[in-house]
Amino acid sequence: MMTFSNETVMAYFDGELDDATRAALEVAMATDSDLAERVARERRLRARLHNEFDPVLTEPIPEQLLAAAQGTSAKARSGNIIWLKRIPARHWSWPQWSAVAASLILGVLIAPLLRPTGGPLGIRDGKILASGALAYALSEQLASNQTAEASVHLGVSFLSRNGDYCRTFTLRDKSAVAGLACREGESWRLEALAATGPATSASGEYKPAASSMPPVVEQSVDELIVGDPLDAKAEAAARGNGWRR
Amino acid sequence: MSPPDLSAELVTLLPRLRRFARALTRNPHDADDLVQVALERALARAHQLRPDAALAAWVFGILRHAWIDELRARARSERVFAPEESGQNVGDAGQGAQAERLSVQDAMARLPQDQRLAVALVLIEGLSYKEAAHAMDVPIGTLTSRLARAREALQAMLGES
Repeated sequence: MMTFSNETVMAYFDGELDDATRAALEVAMATDSDLAERVARERRLRARLHNEFDPVLTEPIPEQLLAAAQGTSAKARSGNIIWLKRIPARHWSWPQWSAVAASLILGVLIAPLLRPTGGPLGIRDGKILASGALAYALSEQLASNQTAEASVHLGVSFLSRNGDYCRTFTLRDKSAVAGLACREGESWRLEALAATGPATSASGEYKPAASSMPPVVEQSVDELIVGDPLDAKAEAAARGNGWRR
Repeated sequence: MSPPDLSAELVTLLPRLRRFARALTRNPHDADDLVQVALERALARAHQLRPDAALAAWVFGILRHAWIDELRARARSERVFAPEESGQNVGDAGQGAQAERLSVQDAMARLPQDQRLAVALVLIEGLSYKEAAHAMDVPIGTLTSRLARAREALQAMLGES
């Protein structure tokens, strides 16, 4: 008599068997009581799972989720998400940037940050790089040892799959943006940037960056990170070596 | 896919996304929060969706990432995991089940994350092995072995062994 493994029984219910195996199993079920019992058990398991979880299918869907699916949730409207990878920044000149800056998203977020001198972002060779206080903080400031007054707050630092160090940051001025920058030579190249909520709570208390990092930035971290974020010791060591491998 | 088209598809998928999230975390509010994050990310990443890709598998994969991020964030903030989220009771699940039969929710919550995801994607959501493996970023063989272990564990915990 042909024998069928539990995996085969499972695959039968999952619709993953080829026609011949499926037919053979169905024939065998009629005469093999052990197999018939295993099939019945598998069927009961699935029935119990569906009994448990299917009722949610017919629950009314919260307005908030419908709005999110249509991209019209409050968060999406005010989020002003920018994903730098999507911006074909190569060879862009200032006039082109101005044209783009006229559009809502960049107008809100990037333009004020791209002040010709002293702003936190600059463009060089078609890349958006940290400059000024942001660049300084990325190179010098340790997340494990930073003051609440610092204008830039560093979040996690990690080694990326591209082999360079990356760090998340939050600008705690009125621009209220957070982002991810990765080391490139002596510079920090922006990988992601998105609006955050206000950097301080209603009571004026400082909110730690981890709780206010926008999803897009978190997601960029997720895509780039290799292993765990650097701990305090590894962060200090990386700074000591100029953020070079 | 254009954003309006994608939105329409996402609305259609909403009930299933909620069911999937509910299978991952038993707290209905946490589950809906996960769905919301997944929807926002899906729209922000519409350009990454290949025309030939299975939309459901893609969105389920995004929700899975959101769930992993949530677990990481909890770990980072050093909040102690509730036992049902950590899967740390798995070792003794079999013995415990013989004494008392667990509810389906309890049993699911005691599975390790990877196994719970496999069960949710294939047994509950009905994705093909290929789609589920894609959503979990693992080879099909890894998916089926997780599925087989999860099935054995569930049946033991539900008093079916």
